[in-house]
Amino acid sequence: MVMFESLEKCLQTKNVSKADLVQLRGQERVMTTCTVKNGVVEDFSNIYLSGVGARVFVDGKSWGFSSTNMLDFESIEQALENALKLAKASSELKRQKTMFEPAGEVIVDVSVSVKKPLRNFSVEDIADIPLDTCKGAEEAGSQVADVKATYISIEDNKYFLSSEGSRIHQGITRVLLFVDVLAKSNSLFCYASENLGHTGGLELFDKTSPYSLGKEVAGRAVKLLNVKAPPSGRFPVVVHPTLCATLLHEAIGHPLEADLAMAGGGFGNHVGELVSSELVTVYDDGHVQGGLGYFAYDDEGVECKRTDLIKNGVLKSFMHDRTSATVTGVSPTGNALAWDYSVEPLIRQTNIGIEAGDYSLEEMIEDVKEGLFLEGTCGGQSDANADFTFGFQSARWIKNGRLDEELRGANVAGNAIEVFKTIDAVGREAVLRPGACGKYQFAIQGRVVPAIRCKMIVGGIGG
Amino acid sequence: MSLETNWNRLTDSAHKAIRALEKKKVMNAEAFFTNTRTTEVVIRNSEIITQNRVDDSGVGFRVVAPRDKVGFACTNSLSEKAILKVAEKAFAIAQVSSEVPNFALPETGQPLKVEGLFDPQVAEIGVEEGVDAARRMIHAAEDCDKRVIAKDGRVIFESGMRGIVNTLGVDVEEQETKAMIYLGASGVQNGEVTGSCYDALLSRAADLEPESVGKNVGKMVVELFKPQPVRSFQGTVIFGPEAVSYQLFNVLIDALKGENIVAGSSAWAEKLGGIEASENFTVEDNAVLEKGFSSRSFDDEGYDSQNTILIKKGKVEGFLHNATSANALKTRNTGNASRFIGGFNMVSAIIGNGYRTKPQIHPSNLIIQPGSKTKEELVSETVKGVLVESMAGFAQPGSGMISAQLSHAFFIENGEIQHPIKGGMVSGIAFDWFKRISGISKETRKFVNAVVPSLRVEEVKVIGA
Repeated sequence: MVMFESLEKCLQTKNVSKADLVQLRGQERVMTTCTVKNGVVEDFSNIYLSGVGARVFVDGKSWGFSSTNMLDFESIEQALENALKLAKASSELKRQKTMFEPAGEVIVDVSVSVKKPLRNFSVEDIADIPLDTCKGAEEAGSQVADVKATYISIEDNKYFLSSEGSRIHQGITRVLLFVDVLAKSNSLFCYASENLGHTGGLELFDKTSPYSLGKEVAGRAVKLLNVKAPPSGRFPVVVHPTLCATLLHEAIGHPLEADLAMAGGGFGNHVGELVSSELVTVYDDGHVQGGLGYFAYDDEGVECKRTDLIKNGVLKSFMHDRTSATVTGVSPTGNALAWDYSVEPLIRQTNIGIEAGDYSLEEMIEDVKEGLFLEGTCGGQSDANADFTFGFQSARWIKNGRLDEELRGANVAGNAIEVFKTIDAVGREAVLRPGACGKYQFAIQGRVVPAIRCKMIVGGIGG
Repeated sequence: MSLETNWNRLTDSAHKAIRALEKKKVMNAEAFFTNTRTTEVVIRNSEIITQNRVDDSGVGFRVVAPRDKVGFACTNSLSEKAILKVAEKAFAIAQVSSEVPNFALPETGQPLKVEGLFDPQVAEIGVEEGVDAARRMIHAAEDCDKRVIAKDGRVIFESGMRGIVNTLGVDVEEQETKAMIYLGASGVQNGEVTGSCYDALLSRAADLEPESVGKNVGKMVVELFKPQPVRSFQGTVIFGPEAVSYQLFNVLIDALKGENIVAGSSAWAEKLGGIEASENFTVEDNAVLEKGFSSRSFDDEGYDSQNTILIKKGKVEGFLHNATSANALKTRNTGNASRFIGGFNMVSAIIGNGYRTKPQIHPSNLIIQPGSKTKEELVSETVKGVLVESMAGFAQPGSGMISAQLSHAFFIENGEIQHPIKGGMVSGIAFDWFKRISGISKETRKFVNAVVPSLRVEEVKVIGA
């Protein structure tokens, strides 16, 4: 643990006493990526990164952060000194002081269990994963025009040391597979995609083989060539878990992040009030096993335990870092996460979830006279006022309680708070999905989601 | 350690590694290396929340083994040993990789130096100036109206060096600075929150005007109070520069990228020489624009920068190429290899940019030629329509389908703006919209990879909330 030693040495320097709080984060990250495009290994990369981020809080008012990719003691010491200087630069402008509740000393070493470690696989074995995905996709028919499959593994060793005495080491391995397929017929293009991802090793592919994933996604893209565009207007919709994951993250997750909520966002100061349908319980839990957003501790050394955010429709809590928690007078929730050593921690979701309900998919559909069943995600966006929009890949008409004609994808939009009040059924099976977020800096996250039924605006180009 | 010392170490080791690879059975090899220092001041909820400084440097190697098999490896360690090892790693990967058809690296050229890309003042700027700019920007926004909240923003100063050396004789380096400020704000009135409004200034020099960004954002927020829903209709839509720079830009570059032409996945793959847009629509990619925010003397695989006409008076005249796509189509390289690609792509976001990644095709400064009318004139000629300053939602790759939420939009009737719009969407195929452009504003706005005006498009579907 050479990293611990040099960070420890830095914590013993006299600069540390000039700050109220010092947090040092060291990280070693090794990534392997392999992209196969139309059967050709277009890219095979090994990425080796390491560095240190020093974060300090001074005068009870101001944060400063400085990072370096140099690991020698002098560079780390310099980063700490820079952080102090940076923090001082705005402390005089601040009116109010923030007094943190002292955090207990946390001394732990946690490593995620990996059933099939990456080191047991050769470069060829790894390349076979996206190659097989592509092969599966290409077998879906001659209309498959463009296939891209990307494998990524991320192995992190993270070290956290604070002037409050915490010493945390976390070893985390993650594996992901992305597949994008474009099907073409004359001048018509249809797109389908899917991601797999978890915290763990190559056992990710035990349940779903890369070949079958490729074939399934390409099959969907080809099928879309022969169906109509979806309609536009406000409809009752049954939202499949793949899409519910995006809805939950964008529409409800973001407004529940304290930094966004404090800007006068949609949920404002409504803790204790009914903010959603009573069928809805939303939580965030860094400890979900296998979740892509698995973290034992966040980047301020706070444990990432389950936090109930909305319980039976009532707003219970926001997601906090130590600063927002102190300002609001609550305990931090372990949601301060940085993408890597080079950037400061922000309030992020870990594995956000909706508790499963009582409905089977059939039951959710059979009560709808005219509506849509929406599947697959194309990513989304949300705003401070809880307005959201995101794309679905395909849909089906629901007519008189039965699935009817198939349709292509489009975007949906709405206001989260209004839409979540319209939820009148929650599916009985919650599934774990991989996710990502680009709020100021990148993050990979998990979502635990069932299907839901609600009302939304669909922006289709069809009649 | 100073930036200069780091740069010298990095350059030496990269050259050494390339020489070591030349002695092995490599076909070609390339090292791309950067050394940057970024200072930023972060604004959240009316306050400066943190000041950050990020020092980063590293090198990425692309190595080509016989039969055009390519491997890539990179490191941010500056030790010579680590750099030589990672170059070896790239070669080892290449040997077990598969053939990349038409793979090519550029040969040495004669890049002309683009002026105005480096300002010593930015390179030496202190965090205090950033704090001052941030403070002035917050005040300017919130002084507009007490309902305005400066929600998030940043002041960023970046200074760095970029170098490329390959076995075909390319050996180039360039110094550059970037200064950026942006602010997002929303308004709160009687518990109702407006959507967010953003403005930004991008420059190569330390000439940013925080007050102008703050005031613009404040003014935009005030205009958004008391929004009203609209009923669905088909009519005129004026897309403001922000909307053009995001969804419409994405559709455009997806159709113009050489690799998509090679793969046949671009809607314009077989449309070279064809009329695909209105006569008033001219688009070029200008990497040699003086002081341009994404100008460069050479692209990210070392090829000479140029100005490329892509669409001239509605006719598709050319595409964006790097060495490989140009080689595949036996056409001229346009110098559009880029290792700094914005947007939200999960794979690129995980890997990171610069030395951490292989180049992809991307515009430098994509310029849509401005028209002759002001935006106000475009509005005054509109009988019934919508002014979309920004919209939320991704464009669909390939098909050009956009269905986006009206996040910052106004209803126009009888040549006048009536009210901001609550909820609602626009939808359609952007390729059809390009053919129905009835007006282009003379004002343009600068974005990271684009300089664009407002576009007025006829017969667009507007969906009411």
